[in-house]
Amino acid sequence: MLDNLNQDVSILQPSLQMTDSQVQNRIRQMKMEDPDEQTCYQKFCNLFTIEYYREYFDVTTELVIAKVVNAFNPFSGTFFDIGGGIPELYGPFWILNTLIFTIALSVNIIKYMQLKPGEHFEYQFEIVPFLAIFMYLKTLIVPMIYRVALKCVSQDRLTLLHCFTIYGYSAVVMIPISLLNSIPNPAIQWMLLVYVLFAQTSFLTSNFNQELKYLPKEKKYMIVGLVAVVQITIMILYKFYFFSSFNYQQLGLVKKRTNTHILQHILGAN
Amino acid sequence: MEFEVQDNQANNSIQGVINLQPQVNQVQAQQQEIPIKQTDLQVSSTLEESVAVTLLRDLRQIGVKLRCVLVPTMSSNNAKELRNWDLWGPLVFCLMLALTLSLSGNNDDGPGIFATIFVLIWVGSFVVTLNAQLLGGKVSFFQSVCVLGYCVFPINLGALFTLFFSFFYLKMFLVIGCFLWSTYSAVGFMKQLIPEQKRILALYPVILFYLFLSWFALIV
Repeated sequence: MLDNLNQDVSILQPSLQMTDSQVQNRIRQMKMEDPDEQTCYQKFCNLFTIEYYREYFDVTTELVIAKVVNAFNPFSGTFFDIGGGIPELYGPFWILNTLIFTIALSVNIIKYMQLKPGEHFEYQFEIVPFLAIFMYLKTLIVPMIYRVALKCVSQDRLTLLHCFTIYGYSAVVMIPISLLNSIPNPAIQWMLLVYVLFAQTSFLTSNFNQELKYLPKEKKYMIVGLVAVVQITIMILYKFYFFSSFNYQQLGLVKKRTNTHILQHILGAN
Repeated sequence: MEFEVQDNQANNSIQGVINLQPQVNQVQAQQQEIPIKQTDLQVSSTLEESVAVTLLRDLRQIGVKLRCVLVPTMSSNNAKELRNWDLWGPLVFCLMLALTLSLSGNNDDGPGIFATIFVLIWVGSFVVTLNAQLLGGKVSFFQSVCVLGYCVFPINLGALFTLFFSFFYLKMFLVIGCFLWSTYSAVGFMKQLIPEQKRILALYPVILFYLFLSWFALIV
């Protein structure tokens, strides 16, 4: 049965055909799931072993770089053709962490540039935990929304992990833009934000389009509209919480007193 | 106790005599003392030595390992030395860095900074090591955490420099130098354990980790 695996897989779309090393991985995974060959803790706590996740980190440097370069191109729609379209978690995770670092850096640079002469610079890193939580939640929840929407239009070829992968890689565009966002000119900042919105939305929709080609028009537009609306919401949050030129203490994101809950601050200030 | 054992080949049995008579003669008893094992002597001697001697020995071991890690000569002695990992060194450097940054005069949230740096160093080392293991590297978990912790020492030096100097570009230059030193040492260690085509993937998180710590040391 295991020998016929590649032939069985080849009836799928060409973009999802597996290479030899992926077949080996799949065989190894099936052995792991074979109840006779499992150890006791593997049967019950498989989620906590490293081997369970090793399959999703099976990438090489060239593959990751190729995917990142592809993510900068919003119109190609060939993201799932690179490396056979297997989902992976290395790229999304480290792009996310790099993004948190660069946004924290650029928020501090913006604040530094807004100093009036003679004022002492106080760096702003209370924003880092808030930023980190926001980013991690966003990266967890939004692909689930996409997966649910794809399931509603009965498209089963893209699994949840594929959605995680493509959403994680779509955030790459944000990294250089957030560094450029520290330029103090508001017109440039708005233009950069609009560019990011446009680039991410068109990257996501052109890649989903490859898989959605065979659906009727209304369902396709529904998916595209959903992607666009989610991206717009997130961009508005970026602009008004992280990149704004307001005083951060007014927005209630800085803990000046130690005993008040941060949410009360935000609700109170707004 | 004495044994006498005979191998009786006729009916495949072993016959013998076990003499369980205790030694009554005291002189004989003293001569037949069970020899004290070497480790027992060591245990009792380290329990009886003074605290200063114990601390100095531990500090000396930390110093030796620090020299192995930070002067990257790639000799086999270094590798053997690093295989005896310990977490005292990383703890000392982590606490030193957190204290330095939280006590500097530039901020009003000292305890918050201490907690952030402490959590960042340990969770960051944990995540970077986990990443290297998931990519298929044969790296022992605590050994890698140990080396990453020891390589925080140059950033410690950088934080101390920023306390004493006030010219921003000089501070930036020194902190960048310390960051490059840390990264070069850590990369030199981890490079050998990852297969060739995944090397940059495993080393990029190390660079990000030290970049984040250096940025903290510079800004605070």
